[in-house]
Amino acid sequence: MAFVDYYQILGIQKTATEKEIKAAYRKLARKYHPDVNPNDQEAQKKFQELNEANEVLSDPEKRKKYDQYGKDWEHGEEYEKARQARASSANYGGGFSSGGGDNFSDFFESMFGGNSGFGGGRAGGRQTKFRGQDYQAEVHLTLTEAYETHKQTLTVNGKNIRITVPAGIENGQNIKISGHGGAGSNGGPNGDLFITFSVANDEKFKRLKNDLYLTADLDLYTAVLGGELIIETLSGKVKLPVKAETQNGNIVRLKGKGFPVYKQDGQFGDLYVTFNIKIPTDLTEKQKELFTELSKS
Amino acid sequence: METDQLISIDIFCNHYKVEYSFVQSLQEVGLIDTVFVQETQYIHLPQLQKLERMIRLHDDLDVNLEGIEVVHHLLKRVESMQGEIVLLKNRLRLYES
Repeated sequence: MAFVDYYQILGIQKTATEKEIKAAYRKLARKYHPDVNPNDQEAQKKFQELNEANEVLSDPEKRKKYDQYGKDWEHGEEYEKARQARASSANYGGGFSSGGGDNFSDFFESMFGGNSGFGGGRAGGRQTKFRGQDYQAEVHLTLTEAYETHKQTLTVNGKNIRITVPAGIENGQNIKISGHGGAGSNGGPNGDLFITFSVANDEKFKRLKNDLYLTADLDLYTAVLGGELIIETLSGKVKLPVKAETQNGNIVRLKGKGFPVYKQDGQFGDLYVTFNIKIPTDLTEKQKELFTELSKS
Repeated sequence: METDQLISIDIFCNHYKVEYSFVQSLQEVGLIDTVFVQETQYIHLPQLQKLERMIRLHDDLDVNLEGIEVVHHLLKRVESMQGEIVLLKNRLRLYES
């Protein structure tokens, strides 16, 4: 467990006055507050550190303890006694409120105990009811998984949450699971769980919104004379007619063979197939002769 | 309109320990919408999160009404730009192997 330098976090001297601590906290809180840094986990982490530092340094009793035993907490016999005394009696009041979170460092919890209830960060320390912290989670899916509606179980802060992932979810899309975030403070409601979906690139298919793009190899003879090509789509095999004299790079659209539209049952995007004409290799002498004849015609 | 989708401003202010005038000011500058039902002023439930955020900005960060308005508009732009980035990233993936 690493020692946490709360003075350094707030960027202040050890001799800082209460007013200076408050000013430093406010300045940094404005910069890193989760409400002004949406979806920024780095800022959220930084804000938690700030809250922890402010919680300790703005409380004269805690600050004194921190200054006295902070650095040597591992060896402090007196600190240990104080900790035991505190465990049996102390309960720091207050009304920590912000959406920043209530996760403290191991160092803090070891020194001051677990969820003691913050008093810092709010002018006047009112016992305001606020909803809990919003949690962020990321779910990774393959393109095939995102193609079909399915259930998935996530473990968030030790709790299993079963969610339904609707077909057609997009890479980078967020969904909110209400009430599955952190517990509210002072009787406030729970926060929400925000899940960001990361849909991996597929080797075969490229996706843009609800449309899929596929490059299909086509032999020269079918390209020249026309014919059929079997295409493997995400919903099964499709027989695709190929027009005679198809050019390399020609694109055909298969309507409704793309990706399902999110939360629109039965609606699908299109599949665009780009032909990649393969020139035959290892020609026999006879074939070469025929091509030579063709080139002269 | 379903009344369970509405929260009375009085109850809200009492619950969150905020001044009625503060919520009123937010409404006056157009940051939140309120409705009157039988002379009682309400906010819509979906606006609760937005309103809570404004209270946090005001109380936690000492941001005044004008500041909240600026932050609110900038956050809307950030959200819109984040959506655009996701779209552009997905478009870029078309050209990535």
